[in-house]
Amino acid sequence: MLNIVELERRWLRYKIKSYLPHAIITLSVITISLVVLSFLSNDKTVQLTKIAISEKSSIVIDKNKLEVQRPIIQKPLPIIVQPTVEKEQEKQTVVIVPNIIIKPTNTRSQVQLSPSLDFMRKMQNSMQPYYSHENTHVQRAYAPQVEVVKQEQQRVYEELQTDVEDISDIEEVVPVAKKISIKRQNTQNDIFEIIKRFKKNNNPALSLFVAKKYYDLENYQQAYNYALLTNGINEDIESSWIIFSKSLVKLGKKKKAITILKKYIKQSHSNGAKILLDEIRSGKFK
Amino acid sequence: MSSIYVNSKDVFLDIVNAKDYIQLDRVSTIYQALKDSIKKPLKMILLYGRPGTGKSMFLNKLHQDLSASQEVYLYKTPILDESEFFKTLAQDIFNTKYSGELNFTQFMKIVKATEGKEIPVVLLDEAQLYSEALMEKIRLLSDTRTVKFVITLHKTEKEDIIAKEHFQTRIWETIELENASSAELKIYIQKKLMKANYFDSANMFTSKSVSRIHKLTQGNYRDTNKLLYTLFELYSEYEKTHRLASIKTDQVSSKIIEMSAIHTGLINA
Repeated sequence: MLNIVELERRWLRYKIKSYLPHAIITLSVITISLVVLSFLSNDKTVQLTKIAISEKSSIVIDKNKLEVQRPIIQKPLPIIVQPTVEKEQEKQTVVIVPNIIIKPTNTRSQVQLSPSLDFMRKMQNSMQPYYSHENTHVQRAYAPQVEVVKQEQQRVYEELQTDVEDISDIEEVVPVAKKISIKRQNTQNDIFEIIKRFKKNNNPALSLFVAKKYYDLENYQQAYNYALLTNGINEDIESSWIIFSKSLVKLGKKKKAITILKKYIKQSHSNGAKILLDEIRSGKFK
Repeated sequence: MSSIYVNSKDVFLDIVNAKDYIQLDRVSTIYQALKDSIKKPLKMILLYGRPGTGKSMFLNKLHQDLSASQEVYLYKTPILDESEFFKTLAQDIFNTKYSGELNFTQFMKIVKATEGKEIPVVLLDEAQLYSEALMEKIRLLSDTRTVKFVITLHKTEKEDIIAKEHFQTRIWETIELENASSAELKIYIQKKLMKANYFDSANMFTSKSVSRIHKLTQGNYRDTNKLLYTLFELYSEYEKTHRLASIKTDQVSSKIIEMSAIHTGLINA
């Protein structure tokens, strides 16, 4: 007698076993298809990314090119600029003082540029066209100074020439960023000259300039006087009020300075004056 | 309890009976060829094939058919002892009872003494079980043309060698029996059932179900008989437990075929 229950159980196991390879094959085919599809899609993405990267890299290369080109322009800068300045000076018969005086330092990487006060003359020219008639006088007054500057320029030029010869050997090397500091030439003569001009035309810009110069030279009394004069001519010049207040503080009249600044702030709402007032109050500015 | 399934089951009992012999076109041709070969003055006829291809049934049918017209002796089981073998032959063929040991030389004397008699046909089933020495003596006996042998061999590698080395030069006729094709198997099953008047059972075997059976049995008659016996036994069990509604009855259920195959060992589950 057959055990049907046991036989049915064995048959069920056999059926599962027989369907298992088909199920595995089907699943494998599906999995492989999915993997292939994902691989293909990834491949497309990679290609797109590659394209994007190549586009980006081309941009980078352009930048590099620009960066590489920059030092090449910079290097001969002192050589190219300087002679032109000199040539201009030679052509000009009136004013020889260059716009920029290059003072070489001990190290090759540091060049100090010191502007003259020539811009003041231009400022005057704009206000007083008749000033050009006195060029010969100015030339005479500056003659020895011009000679010194010329000699200085020549020396700087020669030094830079030798420097350039040295640099030409290492043209591809990116030069170290040069530290440039600009110094104003504060001489008593400059101030006197400007005072003279101020007395002639009562230009508040000149009196303000003189006040600033005196302040820089720590002659706070004179700075106070000229700032006061400036304010008298034009009471809307913020920097004049600031120099005026600063000079007062330096002269030990802190309270007066604060009172004046308060009044000025009330009238003009100047931010610069507010900052200075805070600094005086906090003791930051002494 | 005598149901259609129980009766059908008994049809496929693994019994070699000439009455159960099923005439198939191809087998009939082979059978006719074998009958014709026996009429020829051949020394030996070799009938070979894989187990379950119907060799024994063939010999039985041949014996049944020939026994009416000529002297034919069938030995279904091999007589492995040499003396016993010759004594049995001497008694059956030559009516000579021999007490004590009978060796080949003594047996040959008996054969010579009865010369002129009609050549008897000796059918030896499962001849692969005979020893090589005895097989050599059977060959020598067949050379005398006093006895004609029809022997059956299982077709295996070893038996092929026996066939080649011992009988190749002497056998004049070799007949190979093969497994049935799917179509032949269908005819075989249906004829077998219809012969026993189980037409409903015979109709259950469609080409599809027989094809499934053929796939499992490779057309081997013995395996098919075993499978179908179990199949009808299962049907009868389902019938007994009133679960027949859960399986197909208009045609043979695939589930039952597979369960039968599992039970008979054709499917390893």
